[in-house]
Amino acid sequence: MIGIISSTIRILPESFLVVSLILTPLLGGILITIFKKKKLVEIISVLSTTFILFLTFFLFSYIVDFKKITLFNEFFYLDSLSMIILLLISFVSFVSSIYSINYMGKQYRDGIVDDKHLVRYYQGFNIFIFTMLLVPIINNMGLIWVAIEATTLVSVLLIMIYVKEDPIRSAWKYLIIATVGLSFALIGTIFFYYANIHDPLLPVQPEEDKINWTNMLENSKSMDPMIVKIAFIFIIIGYGTKAGIAPMHTWLPDAHSESPTPISAMLSGVLLNCALYGILRFHLISSGSIGAEFSNNLLIIFGLLSVGIASFSVLFQKDMKRMLAYSSVENIGIVTLAFGFGGLIAIYGAILHMINHAIVKPLMFFASGKISQKYETKAMSKIKGIVTTMPITGIMFLIGGLAIVGLPPFNIFLSKFMILSSGFSSDHILASSVLIIFLAVIFIGFVRNLVMMSFGKPKTQIKNGELGNLSLVSMGMLVAFIIILGIYIPEPLDILINDAASIFKQV
Amino acid sequence: MIYNNILIFLSGTLLIATLVLVIKREFSEWIQAYKYQTIVLSIMTGVIGYITNNWEIYLAAIITFSLKAVIVPKILIKVTEKINYDFKNETTPYISIRLSLVVSTILVALSYFLTQQIQLGEDVIATSFLPVSISLLLIGLLVMIGRRIALNQIVGLLILENGLFLFTLSLTHGISLIIEIGIFIDILVGIVISSILIHRIGYTFDNIDDIHQNRESIEYTEEDD
Repeated sequence: MIGIISSTIRILPESFLVVSLILTPLLGGILITIFKKKKLVEIISVLSTTFILFLTFFLFSYIVDFKKITLFNEFFYLDSLSMIILLLISFVSFVSSIYSINYMGKQYRDGIVDDKHLVRYYQGFNIFIFTMLLVPIINNMGLIWVAIEATTLVSVLLIMIYVKEDPIRSAWKYLIIATVGLSFALIGTIFFYYANIHDPLLPVQPEEDKINWTNMLENSKSMDPMIVKIAFIFIIIGYGTKAGIAPMHTWLPDAHSESPTPISAMLSGVLLNCALYGILRFHLISSGSIGAEFSNNLLIIFGLLSVGIASFSVLFQKDMKRMLAYSSVENIGIVTLAFGFGGLIAIYGAILHMINHAIVKPLMFFASGKISQKYETKAMSKIKGIVTTMPITGIMFLIGGLAIVGLPPFNIFLSKFMILSSGFSSDHILASSVLIIFLAVIFIGFVRNLVMMSFGKPKTQIKNGELGNLSLVSMGMLVAFIIILGIYIPEPLDILINDAASIFKQV
Repeated sequence: MIYNNILIFLSGTLLIATLVLVIKREFSEWIQAYKYQTIVLSIMTGVIGYITNNWEIYLAAIITFSLKAVIVPKILIKVTEKINYDFKNETTPYISIRLSLVVSTILVALSYFLTQQIQLGEDVIATSFLPVSISLLLIGLLVMIGRRIALNQIVGLLILENGLFLFTLSLTHGISLIIEIGIFIDILVGIVISSILIHRIGYTFDNIDDIHQNRESIEYTEEDD
């Protein structure tokens, strides 16, 4: 079966795949602007994400076989690490587009959004996918910065779809903090570029190739170590702001809790990973230049701080979506920490954790969106007995919650276990022990809230029953992946993750 | 070395224009000061283009002038036309105007000190413009945290962005044009979005203090248990 598919893929050149991958969401956005009917707009958005998913699978099989693709004079550069981000983007946006029909449809029927806002939502949704898709496939680090900044701007527009006080307040906060943070990232990028073109004996000569990641990695040995150190600190602060790494995470809980639920899922599932991808690329260059120890230590410190702050914040949350947002901070912290550990198993675990988190967190957001539509509140103290009122959603919510705190047999257990075991077997025993304590705190906070919401009797009279089948379909897909990836990792994915991890070992 | 005097004169002018931004209280005055700052910046860009003999930098100077000195101020004046005067006038900043002026001068000194740590070699442009650009970055951040009203954060952001532009240009003598255009587009879209937001803040919030209110206290006060 796989043989047939991969032989048909060979017919399509990879340049066609990459170009159509970028053009699809743009085309989707344009078509949505032309056809303004609700039904048509929904169909176009699902079709465009489905097509993106197909293209990504083709590219996936390409990458598994050939390891990397370079196109158009090295303008596009894809390797296994970019492929993982690309897979996450296309998968989560596919699921979100299905869920959007149900969720935004309900908001539309309830009169919270009108036709104009609905069209604007789907336009923003497609352009958001477009900007995110640009991040992993571009080779030019300056343009990657431009793309990440563009994701901020588009997602701000998506957050302020609802014209109410809280979304406006959080959109403002997000815009300002993320823009300032990304300015630092640009400074870091420029410093890396300067280190690449800088030669103490000659005057500075700008060269266009030298901002490419591949070129920087090649020349990393000859960079000035002092400038590389400064540059990496700017990068980790800058992109770290966008990735939600503490203590720069303050915009994240507001933005994630006030945006429409499908967008929360995309923000938390993939956008954070896109920003982390920027850090990882520079982490590779800096490891090539001054050795891995400097950047590893920074990643460990920031990762541990994120997990710590998030774990104690989860304990005191009253709002369901804010709790999930803090959990995103925690998980990004774990991934950062694991990349800092630096062993082959730890990096494998980190990449697996990225994937697992991108599967579980959308499920949690989707379920919480349905729950808050049913109960008409996001306050956790007012939500009781989900399992009785909405049996299927409730059980999926429970599965997601148990998966995210890391219980077996679900997928996150596997990646957390890998990270911890490699941490204890290497010389990072202190960091791993502290991590276990924080994970225990988060376990207590999360499970208590989960049990309180899932069981018991609803306080107000609420009619039993689910809200629509499409949401169940999208959530069901995610649950299936949670269970499958908890038991075994399919072989192509395993190869891909191994390849990506070996990129970190080569430098 | 013949350019040295011109470069130092231009850096001084830019710093003065930035300090004027720090001491003003009213939004329309900021916009004016920002205009002057940007005009000085685009002249500096032109000078860099002349020294390095690079047509892309001339183009960047023209874009800077037309975008930041003409279009952005027009957009900002237009969107803030209708909103309440309270939203536009800084009466009680967190850091008083006098103090922020003192802090700004310290920041300028600090940035000159910091750039001496980087070995720039014989590069005339970098040695004279890099410290100015870093002080612009720091002053932009100071303006953002020191003021109370939301519009101020845009002003801080604009100063920061100008500093970033000068920083990029003086350190690398122009990165490729496509990146610069990308950065310009991002800035423009960012300004447009923030103006939409300001417009909405103008009619959604009754009171200037609303935007600073702690959201937890608003939402959960009515809980019965």
